[in-house]
Amino acid sequence: MSVRRQGTTLFSAILILVVTTVVLQLWLLTVSVEALLSGAYKTLVPAAAGSTILLLINAGLLRYVFRFDRDAPGE
Amino acid sequence: MTSEDEGCWGCKATAPPKWRQDFPIDWEGDHYVSRREMVKFLTLGSLLLVVANWATALASKFLHRGSHAERYIGSATALEQSGSMLFHYPTDAAPCIAARTPEGKLVAYSQVCTHLSCAVVYDKAKNGLFCPCHHGLFNLEGQPVAGPPTRPLPKVKLEQRGDKLFATELEAR
Repeated sequence: MSVRRQGTTLFSAILILVVTTVVLQLWLLTVSVEALLSGAYKTLVPAAAGSTILLLINAGLLRYVFRFDRDAPGE
Repeated sequence: MTSEDEGCWGCKATAPPKWRQDFPIDWEGDHYVSRREMVKFLTLGSLLLVVANWATALASKFLHRGSHAERYIGSATALEQSGSMLFHYPTDAAPCIAARTPEGKLVAYSQVCTHLSCAVVYDKAKNGLFCPCHHGLFNLEGQPVAGPPTRPLPKVKLEQRGDKLFATELEAR
Protein backbone atom coordinates (compact mmCIF):
# COMPACT_ATOMS: atom_id res chain seq x y z
CA MET A 1 0.00 0.00 0.00
CA SER A 2 1.39 3.44 -0.89
CA VAL A 3 2.09 5.97 1.85
CA ARG A 4 -0.61 8.26 0.42
CA ARG A 5 -3.32 5.55 0.50
CA GLN A 6 -2.18 4.52 3.97
CA GLY A 7 -2.48 8.16 5.05
CA THR A 8 -6.02 8.39 3.63
CA THR A 9 -7.15 5.39 5.68
CA LEU A 10 -5.35 6.60 8.79
CA PHE A 11 -6.75 10.12 8.63
CA SER A 12 -10.29 8.84 8.15
CA ALA A 13 -9.88 6.66 11.24
CA ILE A 14 -8.33 9.52 13.21
CA LEU A 15 -11.14 11.86 12.18
CA ILE A 16 -13.76 9.37 13.41
CA LEU A 17 -11.88 8.97 16.73
CA VAL A 18 -11.62 12.74 17.21
CA VAL A 19 -15.32 13.26 16.41
CA THR A 20 -16.21 10.53 18.95
CA THR A 21 -14.12 12.13 21.70
CA VAL A 22 -15.59 15.57 20.99
CA VAL A 23 -19.12 14.12 21.24
CA LEU A 24 -18.12 12.55 24.58
CA GLN A 25 -16.82 15.93 25.75
CA LEU A 26 -20.11 17.57 24.76
CA TRP A 27 -21.95 14.97 26.79
CA LEU A 28 -19.64 15.60 29.78
CA LEU A 29 -20.35 19.33 29.51
CA THR A 30 -24.14 18.78 29.54
CA VAL A 31 -23.74 16.51 32.59
CA SER A 32 -21.62 19.19 34.31
CA VAL A 33 -24.09 21.99 33.64
CA GLU A 34 -26.98 19.85 34.88
CA ALA A 35 -24.99 18.94 38.01
CA LEU A 36 -24.09 22.59 38.59
CA LEU A 37 -27.72 23.70 38.36
CA SER A 38 -28.95 20.90 40.62
CA GLY A 39 -26.23 21.49 43.21
CA ALA A 40 -24.49 18.10 42.75
CA TYR A 41 -21.01 19.64 42.88
CA LYS A 42 -19.15 16.35 43.43
CA THR A 43 -19.58 15.45 39.75
CA LEU A 44 -17.97 18.58 38.34
CA VAL A 45 -14.25 18.03 38.90
CA PRO A 46 -14.24 14.36 37.69
CA ALA A 47 -16.17 15.46 34.57
CA ALA A 48 -13.67 18.25 33.87
CA ALA A 49 -10.76 15.83 34.45
CA GLY A 50 -12.33 13.33 32.03
CA SER A 51 -12.77 16.07 29.45
CA THR A 52 -9.08 17.02 29.85
CA ILE A 53 -8.02 13.40 29.26
CA LEU A 54 -10.09 13.35 26.06
CA LEU A 55 -8.42 16.61 24.96
CA LEU A 56 -5.00 15.01 25.52
CA ILE A 57 -6.05 12.07 23.34
CA ASN A 58 -7.16 14.52 20.63
CA ALA A 59 -3.94 16.50 20.90
CA GLY A 60 -1.93 13.26 20.60
CA LEU A 61 -3.82 12.30 17.45
CA LEU A 62 -3.33 15.78 15.97
CA ARG A 63 0.39 15.58 16.72
CA TYR A 64 0.49 12.21 14.96
CA VAL A 65 -1.17 13.79 11.87
CA PHE A 66 1.41 16.61 11.78
CA ARG A 67 4.31 14.20 12.20
CA PHE A 68 2.94 11.93 9.48
CA ASP A 69 2.66 14.88 7.08
CA ARG A 70 6.19 16.03 7.90
CA ASP A 71 7.81 12.59 7.58
CA ALA A 72 5.84 11.30 4.56
CA PRO A 73 7.62 11.64 1.20
CA GLY A 74 6.17 14.32 -1.12
CA GLU A 75 3.85 13.48 -4.01
CA MET B 1 -26.30 43.50 -17.37
CA THR B 2 -23.02 42.33 -18.92
CA SER B 3 -21.03 39.31 -17.84
CA GLU B 4 -18.38 41.66 -16.52
CA ASP B 5 -20.92 43.38 -14.26
CA GLU B 6 -22.09 40.00 -12.95
CA GLY B 7 -18.53 39.10 -12.14
CA CYS B 8 -18.33 36.00 -14.34
CA TRP B 9 -14.69 35.04 -13.91
CA GLY B 10 -13.13 33.80 -17.12
CA CYS B 11 -16.12 34.71 -19.36
CA LYS B 12 -14.00 37.09 -21.36
CA ALA B 13 -10.52 36.50 -22.63
CA THR B 14 -9.62 40.07 -21.82
CA ALA B 15 -8.28 41.37 -18.51
CA PRO B 16 -10.32 40.48 -15.40
CA PRO B 17 -12.77 43.04 -14.04
CA LYS B 18 -11.53 45.63 -11.60
CA TRP B 19 -13.34 44.10 -8.62
CA ARG B 20 -11.51 40.87 -9.28
CA GLN B 21 -8.17 42.64 -9.18
CA ASP B 22 -9.16 44.23 -5.87
CA PHE B 23 -10.45 40.95 -4.42
CA PRO B 24 -8.41 38.09 -5.86
CA ILE B 25 -9.81 35.34 -3.60
CA ASP B 26 -10.73 31.96 -5.05
CA TRP B 27 -14.10 31.22 -3.42
CA GLU B 28 -14.13 27.41 -3.88
CA GLY B 29 -10.58 27.02 -2.64
CA ASP B 30 -11.40 29.26 0.30
CA HIS B 31 -14.20 26.93 1.43
CA TYR B 32 -12.39 23.64 0.95
CA VAL B 33 -11.62 21.97 4.29
CA SER B 34 -9.31 18.98 4.30
CA ARG B 35 -9.53 16.18 6.84
CA ARG B 36 -6.31 17.43 8.43
CA GLU B 37 -7.87 20.87 8.93
CA MET B 38 -11.03 19.25 10.28
CA VAL B 39 -8.98 17.37 12.90
CA LYS B 40 -7.31 20.68 13.78
CA PHE B 41 -10.67 22.48 14.17
CA LEU B 42 -12.12 19.63 16.23
CA THR B 43 -9.09 19.64 18.55
CA LEU B 44 -9.56 23.38 19.03
CA GLY B 45 -13.26 22.73 19.80
CA SER B 46 -12.15 20.04 22.23
CA LEU B 47 -9.95 22.60 24.00
CA LEU B 48 -12.89 25.01 24.27
CA LEU B 49 -15.06 22.25 25.75
CA VAL B 50 -12.39 21.54 28.39
CA VAL B 51 -12.29 25.25 29.26
CA ALA B 52 -16.11 25.29 29.57
CA ASN B 53 -16.03 22.16 31.75
CA TRP B 54 -13.44 23.65 34.14
CA ALA B 55 -15.42 26.91 34.17
CA THR B 56 -18.49 25.04 35.48
CA ALA B 57 -16.30 23.32 38.11
CA LEU B 58 -14.91 26.73 39.13
CA ALA B 59 -18.39 28.33 39.14
CA SER B 60 -19.53 25.78 41.73
CA LYS B 61 -16.92 27.13 44.20
CA PHE B 62 -18.42 30.62 43.94
CA LEU B 63 -22.01 29.37 44.14
CA HIS B 64 -21.20 27.18 47.13
CA ARG B 65 -19.52 30.04 49.02
CA GLY B 66 -22.74 31.99 49.45
CA SER B 67 -24.55 29.23 51.34
CA HIS B 68 -22.77 29.47 54.71
CA ALA B 69 -24.58 32.54 56.03
CA GLU B 70 -26.57 32.18 59.25
CA ARG B 71 -30.25 33.05 59.05
CA TYR B 72 -33.10 33.10 61.57
CA ILE B 73 -35.93 30.93 60.21
CA GLY B 74 -38.56 30.89 62.95
CA SER B 75 -39.45 29.58 66.38
CA ALA B 76 -39.27 25.96 67.49
CA THR B 77 -42.76 26.27 69.02
CA ALA B 78 -44.29 27.04 65.61
CA LEU B 79 -42.57 23.97 64.17
CA GLU B 80 -43.88 21.72 66.97
CA GLN B 81 -47.44 22.93 66.40
CA SER B 82 -47.61 22.36 62.65
CA GLY B 83 -45.18 19.46 62.29
CA SER B 84 -43.28 21.25 59.55
CA MET B 85 -42.22 24.78 58.70
CA LEU B 86 -41.40 26.55 55.47
CA PHE B 87 -38.58 29.07 55.24
CA HIS B 88 -36.11 30.50 52.73
CA TYR B 89 -32.40 29.81 52.79
CA PRO B 90 -29.76 30.97 51.76
CA THR B 91 -31.68 33.58 49.73
CA ASP B 92 -35.32 34.62 49.53
CA ALA B 93 -35.56 32.78 46.21
CA ALA B 94 -34.65 29.38 47.74
CA PRO B 95 -37.59 27.72 49.55
CA CYS B 96 -36.77 25.14 52.24
CA ILE B 97 -38.73 22.93 54.61
CA ALA B 98 -38.00 21.92 58.20
CA ALA B 99 -39.64 19.01 60.00
CA ARG B 100 -39.37 17.08 63.25
CA THR B 101 -38.86 13.31 62.79
CA PRO B 102 -40.87 10.84 64.95
CA GLU B 103 -37.60 10.26 66.85
CA GLY B 104 -37.54 13.96 67.72
CA LYS B 105 -34.69 14.95 65.41
CA LEU B 106 -34.89 18.31 63.67
CA VAL B 107 -34.23 18.11 59.90
CA ALA B 108 -34.42 20.63 57.03
CA TYR B 109 -34.02 20.34 53.29
CA SER B 110 -34.44 22.39 50.16
CA GLN B 111 -38.10 22.33 49.19
CA VAL B 112 -37.24 22.07 45.48
CA CYS B 113 -37.77 18.51 44.21
CA THR B 114 -34.66 17.19 42.42
CA HIS B 115 -36.85 15.78 39.64
CA LEU B 116 -38.57 18.79 38.04
CA SER B 117 -38.32 21.45 40.76
CA CYS B 118 -41.83 21.22 42.24
CA ALA B 119 -42.22 22.05 45.92
CA VAL B 120 -42.13 19.05 48.28
CA VAL B 121 -44.37 18.96 51.35
CA TYR B 122 -44.09 17.10 54.66
CA ASP B 123 -46.36 14.05 54.70
CA LYS B 124 -46.77 12.73 58.24
CA ALA B 125 -48.57 9.53 57.13
CA LYS B 126 -45.77 8.60 54.70
CA ASN B 127 -43.12 9.85 57.14
CA GLY B 128 -41.33 11.75 54.39
CA LEU B 129 -41.30 14.66 52.01
CA PHE B 130 -43.82 14.17 49.22
CA CYS B 131 -43.77 15.80 45.79
CA PRO B 132 -47.38 16.10 44.55
CA CYS B 133 -46.41 16.78 40.91
CA HIS B 134 -45.17 13.28 40.03
CA HIS B 135 -45.66 11.44 43.34
CA GLY B 136 -42.00 11.46 44.29
CA LEU B 137 -41.16 10.66 47.91
CA PHE B 138 -38.07 11.46 49.95
CA ASN B 139 -37.46 9.98 53.39
CA LEU B 140 -36.51 12.22 56.31
CA GLU B 141 -32.84 11.67 55.48
CA GLY B 142 -33.55 13.51 52.21
CA GLN B 143 -32.97 10.39 50.09
CA PRO B 144 -35.40 9.55 47.24
CA VAL B 145 -37.41 6.42 48.05
CA ALA B 146 -40.25 6.47 45.50
CA GLY B 147 -41.26 8.08 42.24
CA PRO B 148 -39.07 9.68 39.58
CA PRO B 149 -36.48 11.64 41.68
CA THR B 150 -33.04 10.03 41.72
CA ARG B 151 -30.94 12.64 43.56
CA PRO B 152 -31.25 13.51 47.26
CA LEU B 153 -32.56 16.87 48.45
CA PRO B 154 -29.89 19.42 49.45
CA LYS B 155 -29.69 19.43 53.26
CA VAL B 156 -29.93 22.55 55.41
CA LYS B 157 -28.06 22.45 58.70
CA LEU B 158 -30.08 23.89 61.59
CA GLU B 159 -29.16 25.15 65.02
CA GLN B 160 -31.61 25.61 67.87
CA ARG B 161 -30.87 28.33 70.44
CA GLY B 162 -33.62 28.37 73.01
CA ASP B 163 -36.84 28.75 71.05
CA LYS B 164 -35.13 30.21 68.01
CA LEU B 165 -34.14 28.19 64.94
CA PHE B 166 -31.26 29.23 62.69
CA ALA B 167 -30.20 27.84 59.31
CA THR B 168 -26.41 27.76 59.17
CA GLU B 169 -25.40 25.90 56.00
CA LEU B 170 -26.78 24.47 52.79
CA GLU B 171 -25.10 21.14 52.13
CA ALA B 172 -25.08 20.13 48.44
CA ARG B 173 -25.11 16.33 47.97
